[in-house]
Amino acid sequence: MGTIRVRFIIVALVVSFFAVGMAAFLNYFKYKSTISGIVKSRVLVIGRNIENSVQASLSVGMQFMELGTMNALLQREKASDRLIRGIDVFDQTGQILYSTERPRVGEKVANSWTEAAARSKTTEWGTEAADEYVAGISLKNNFDLTVGFLAMRYSAEEVERAAKVAGREILLASIFSFLGIALIAPLALIVVIRRFERDLRALEAAASHLEDRSEPALPTGSAFDSAIGNLRSSLRDANVALDDLRAKLDSVS
Amino acid sequence: MLEKNYLWRIYWRLAGVIMVCVVVALAVVSYFSHRVFDRELVPETEQKAATVGASVRALVLKATGYGIDFAQLYGVEQTFAEVFEENPEFAYMAITNTDGNVLFARGTEPIGARTHFRNPVVLQIAHETTDLSKAARVGQQYIVSMPINDAGKPLGVLHVGIDAAFVDHVLLEVLLDVVVVLVVSLFFTLELLNFMAGARLASGLGEFARQADRMRSGDFTATARIRANDEIGRLLRRIDSAIDHLNVRYEFLVGELQDKLRTASAQRREDLKPAQAALEQISKRLRFGSAPEAADGDEMNLNRIRAPLFAFILAEELTRSYLPTYVNQLIVAIPGISPQVVIGLPIMLFMLIVALGQPYLGSWSERVGRRKAMLVGAVIATFGFTGTALAYNLYDLILWRSLCALGYAMVFVAAQGYVLDRTGQQNRAQGFALFIGAIMVATVCGPSIGGILADNIGFRASFGVSALMALASILAIVRLPTTEVKLAVAKPVRGPRMREIMALIVNRRFMTLTGLAAMPAKIILTGVCFYLVPLYIVSIGNTSSMAGRMLMVYAVMMVLIVPLSASLSDATMRRDRYVSVGLIISGLSGLLLLLSDSFLVLFGVVFLLGLGQALSIAAQSALVAEHCQDEIRIYGHDAVYGVYRLLERLGNAMGPLIASLLVILWGYQGSFVALSALVLFCGIAFTIATHGPEWQPAEPAPS
Repeated sequence: MGTIRVRFIIVALVVSFFAVGMAAFLNYFKYKSTISGIVKSRVLVIGRNIENSVQASLSVGMQFMELGTMNALLQREKASDRLIRGIDVFDQTGQILYSTERPRVGEKVANSWTEAAARSKTTEWGTEAADEYVAGISLKNNFDLTVGFLAMRYSAEEVERAAKVAGREILLASIFSFLGIALIAPLALIVVIRRFERDLRALEAAASHLEDRSEPALPTGSAFDSAIGNLRSSLRDANVALDDLRAKLDSVS
Repeated sequence: MLEKNYLWRIYWRLAGVIMVCVVVALAVVSYFSHRVFDRELVPETEQKAATVGASVRALVLKATGYGIDFAQLYGVEQTFAEVFEENPEFAYMAITNTDGNVLFARGTEPIGARTHFRNPVVLQIAHETTDLSKAARVGQQYIVSMPINDAGKPLGVLHVGIDAAFVDHVLLEVLLDVVVVLVVSLFFTLELLNFMAGARLASGLGEFARQADRMRSGDFTATARIRANDEIGRLLRRIDSAIDHLNVRYEFLVGELQDKLRTASAQRREDLKPAQAALEQISKRLRFGSAPEAADGDEMNLNRIRAPLFAFILAEELTRSYLPTYVNQLIVAIPGISPQVVIGLPIMLFMLIVALGQPYLGSWSERVGRRKAMLVGAVIATFGFTGTALAYNLYDLILWRSLCALGYAMVFVAAQGYVLDRTGQQNRAQGFALFIGAIMVATVCGPSIGGILADNIGFRASFGVSALMALASILAIVRLPTTEVKLAVAKPVRGPRMREIMALIVNRRFMTLTGLAAMPAKIILTGVCFYLVPLYIVSIGNTSSMAGRMLMVYAVMMVLIVPLSASLSDATMRRDRYVSVGLIISGLSGLLLLLSDSFLVLFGVVFLLGLGQALSIAAQSALVAEHCQDEIRIYGHDAVYGVYRLLERLGNAMGPLIASLLVILWGYQGSFVALSALVLFCGIAFTIATHGPEWQPAEPAPS
């Protein structure tokens, strides 16, 4: 196989690898972000129920720090979806006021939570840790002032598991697609560059007979016919001139 | 030009075949991805529907708990509407009684829903006392049904319909990115064809054509070049061999004649005269011996600059679509400076370093050698990108970006010098086409891929990818020839002197071209493309990928239109008109946002800006040579163009600053409009200023 053909095939394989790899990458991350979004919005549905209860309490004049039924409400809502590991309510400083896990009350939440809540342009926010995700809602009073934050911790396992399954299948599909291309592309390329290779062969063949004194070969239809013709005639002219000189020298001896 | 056109025809055919293969592969990947999405996302969405349904059911039970009749509930449809608003994948919601009759419903009812609701299995659900929910495919929806049961008393069934096409919508978003991947793949293909095969083929076939021309003109001097071990190399070796044989034959005959003349008697000398005459004739017509070193550079080595330049510029271009958003994340309050200006600060500083550094780095790279200068620049930029990826806050980010800018300026200038060193008058335009081509392809591919990466793997990891690309460029730079080429006629490059700068910025003709055309064009380019578009797109809830696609539109316009407008403006010799029209179109672009702030309008803004810039960019610098002849005579070509480029690049630095100040005053849309209005004003002023007879094109010089 010619060196140039090999190079063209390598180009096809590199480009296909890039394209298929990027498509797999895009599909995988789209899947992961979609499934994360679905799971997060599912968790937020429960959060909205809690938010409504809190706002109902605040609207009848109760203090945010003194919502007596809050822990029970959190426990009830947590039980409504197996996905949820725990629910915390914390204030602006990050201190947990209510939680489904009593020992957490009084502790500070991670800085990333308060930062994510502060960064969000809506009332919803979220953050990801190694093994669990957090979906949150900024709790507002009737005057649209943020009084605290609701955070629902849920297992990353569901998303990770789904992403793993999808990732494996997308990867397999990509590998098979790439292998398919690796088989088809060289064949298709060979068909396309046949003409070019023929031209090159004609050129090489002509070049190997450059010094023949015979009549020039018939045109091959190659793009290089005229250039080859010029080469041959130039060489022939030069050889004729040198032959003439040779003859003149020989005639003297 | 036979070999160039011939090769390009082959490249396009090859690119076509490769693209067809890629499209088929992408279709296969998309098909299987769709299957996975369908299989995995639907159950997950059904679970979500069950959770949403449970929430709605709780409200219903609360109302019935207050004694309201189940069939007379008020506001159920409104509740359903609120659910749809928050969950666009839900297409239908209904509550049926224990007989399966619809009491409340909202959304698009799927065909066969009524029959489904009366199905005994579905009716049985009402009697369930657990939180059970069942899903079934009905028409074009997946219906999730759950009981409404008041402490053992069945009231009815709540149904939530999920649009089966929602998976298609999700994949449609991916499809946009896949199209971007396809476009980028096409450009990669052409770039790789050139890098892996084309450079050698082009130079081989070029060498063959030149050899044929030389021989036709009687030049049979032998070249002592090392030929590649491929088809073209073998062909050239055969030609070399034929020439060598001729040379040996010639030398032998000359030697023989000289020997004979040395030992010949008078009579014999007389006999040898015809042979002497024949030799003289040969010497007049044909040339033998060794060929001199190629004076006008080496095409093969010239082509080798393209790969490192492409990789390096790509590293920087990858960051275009998300850099301002990343800066926004790391922002720290700087007293007295608005956050909007702070976001633009790294971009502004980058442009400023490039603008001020380039004139002086040119002579530096000439001193140390182009290859070494590129290496140093790429290493500095690699550190810069790595540092940016790991940046703690804005302050160190500015330092890292400054390193990137310094590296960028070094590589850019050194690569430009490399091309200049290896081209003569005949092939300089071709050399610069290669240089600009590499940059343009990187501009098309970079922002879009960068945006996709940033959305999926995050900003920091994306800067890591840029660092890897810069590292890859180092590997390609190392492969450049170590021997520097300097043309004997080439004068050393120097930066413009302050005296020249001062004289030129008060020169009316020069400043008409620079202040009314070149600088505004650059201000709107960096202000809109590098600052406003990435920030505005994200501010309206879109992604960095979308910003990347927008910037790709700009780059594609440049790639398609610039060659056309350059040749047309050269042919008509009315370059001023192209600049005027280009500036006016650019100036009109942002005004579109007065009509609407929709996403499609923003697309139109970028499209028009790309069109305007593409029309004017090539003609602008040519106008300097055309209309500043006196200034060039007084200060010299280098000084005039040096000041022109310096001011143009200062325009680059001013763009983000002006845009950010306008954002403070009038918001993003106002900033787009005001920047465009400024350019429109400059365009009109330029048109009026260049209307007089002194600006009429000069008569073409006799060739």
